[in-house]
Amino acid sequence: MPAINLMSISVLYATSFAILLLGFLTALSSKDLIRLLIALELMFGAVFMSLIPLFAVAANSAFAASIIVIFTSAGELLVLIAAIVIQDRRVKNILVRDITAGGDKL
Amino acid sequence: MLGALAGVLVLSALGVLLSKDNFYSALFMTLTLVMVATVYALFDLQPLFVLIVFVFVGVIGIVTVALAATYRAMPERQFAWIWCILVLITAVILGFSIFTHTLHGISSPIGFTLQGFLKPGSEYQLLFLFLTSLVILLFLSVIKIYRGEES
Repeated sequence: MPAINLMSISVLYATSFAILLLGFLTALSSKDLIRLLIALELMFGAVFMSLIPLFAVAANSAFAASIIVIFTSAGELLVLIAAIVIQDRRVKNILVRDITAGGDKL
Repeated sequence: MLGALAGVLVLSALGVLLSKDNFYSALFMTLTLVMVATVYALFDLQPLFVLIVFVFVGVIGIVTVALAATYRAMPERQFAWIWCILVLITAVILGFSIFTHTLHGISSPIGFTLQGFLKPGSEYQLLFLFLTSLVILLFLSVIKIYRGEES
């Protein structure tokens, strides 16, 4: 059975943080909803990476958390597809700048 | 091996950010997710590998690639540099807390088995109930949004 040590924990968390950071940057620079969807999926990938060390401590809880993450991601995909379809019907494009509800302005 | 996989992971995630075409970004994202699943396989977590590859990559990844191919366009770059400061502050705080925390001497085996998870009285029943409720709520929300839009 493979063991998880300090070195692998460091690599896993560093990679997870790097992917999360790249996901955030992609989401911030996204101009349309498809790119936003891609960025969110990338962030879920980072969540999966950060869950691996938990398997060494509480394997069943980690597995349950992983399944919840998969379902949440699928739900997020469902909601975003609905948003894309509605936006496309309403304004004939999927650009983020045409979304008038929610969000902060810097 | 883990270091090499981590390197490929970060590079493919960087490809998502740097690629201007959504279609290639979606392909890079799928590659990243396959690599994440490979890391699970490296730690002998086969059930998770199958779940991630078949559900996460096989369904979500492919739907995203198909969507990106349908709405294929060259987006303009939009980037607010002020967010970089916030991200940098968070990275410094996280890095500092990780390096000051004593993690030395940790070396525990991963002993996960699917049979152990599915046995009666485990978290499986609660998880099944929770996920069923989540799916029903999600579908109801989407139907409500869609009906509201049509009317």
